[in-house]
Amino acid sequence: MHELPFTKGIFKSVMRKAESVNATGINRVVLEIGVLHDFIPEFVQRYWDFISRGTIAEGSRVEIRWKNATVMCGQCNTQFEVDKETMTDPKCPSCGYEFGTMLSGNELRIIGIEIVKE
Amino acid sequence: MDIEYIDLKECILAENEGDAQEVRDLLKEKNVILWNVMSSPGSGKTTFITDVIKRLGSQFRFGVIEADIESTVDAEKMHALGIPTVQLRTGGGCHLDAAMTMEALAKMPLDDLDVLIIENVGNLVCPAEFDVGANIATMLLSIPEGDDKCIKYPLMFTVTKAVFVTKMDVAPYFDFNFEALEKNSHRLNNDLRIFPVSVKTGEGMDEAVEWLKQQFN
Repeated sequence: MHELPFTKGIFKSVMRKAESVNATGINRVVLEIGVLHDFIPEFVQRYWDFISRGTIAEGSRVEIRWKNATVMCGQCNTQFEVDKETMTDPKCPSCGYEFGTMLSGNELRIIGIEIVKE
Repeated sequence: MDIEYIDLKECILAENEGDAQEVRDLLKEKNVILWNVMSSPGSGKTTFITDVIKRLGSQFRFGVIEADIESTVDAEKMHALGIPTVQLRTGGGCHLDAAMTMEALAKMPLDDLDVLIIENVGNLVCPAEFDVGANIATMLLSIPEGDDKCIKYPLMFTVTKAVFVTKMDVAPYFDFNFEALEKNSHRLNNDLRIFPVSVKTGEGMDEAVEWLKQQFN
């Protein structure tokens, strides 16, 4: 259920931007989400459909692009990327050490919108 | 009709991050440390916090912000100890955000406090997503919940500095594997501290409280 407050925030930002460029419609919203987030894309879309009803964003699609996380190895400080799968069992590519610190993976960004202008 | 794609770089939580900074600035000015306590429902947050206050109450002046979806049960317990308490009812909301923290700060006697504790809504997902402006974030994990929670809720285990493993007194009845918890949680948060504790028997509380004391100073 935590997708709801996020979706409300996204809607507010997207509408602000769309209105500032005099858009008459919104086709698509592209998000970049760090893999550490437990987001269910179907829920985001469902909440989006609900919130956007009767606005220029009605019927638009929310696209989520997952962003890999960066881990710093706890032994040799090498930085490497992990995705949703390898995140639970990361291994340093240089020294093979299994423990490290997350440097990124927490992103929540709107990276683009596709708008319609009459 | 034109279709146009506009590149953006807008943080979805920009508003909350701004509010969190405001909370931090205000508390810095007032010299108050904000300690965020997160966990699942029923892991023993109120019991643990109460015990910490009893043990450190002569050295620090505490205040508590109680965040619950409904009810004022926890706030009443704190109030009975004579601790300044503000109850926030999220009314169905699954977490606390920085704006709500700010609201609670307005009702707190900040000039008379050293440490302000947030007892967050019992939930391992949402509270990890929202910066409330805290200086220290920790979590509780009770023995019956099991050691695999850090695999299921990775974000929570990367935003906390310490895990207090509570209800150690019932450990003989469960198969909680400390080695597995340590291994799995250190994969993404190598500096995470793990303190096995039981408020009931007092086990591990000296070490936990000593560590907290260092964080408050």
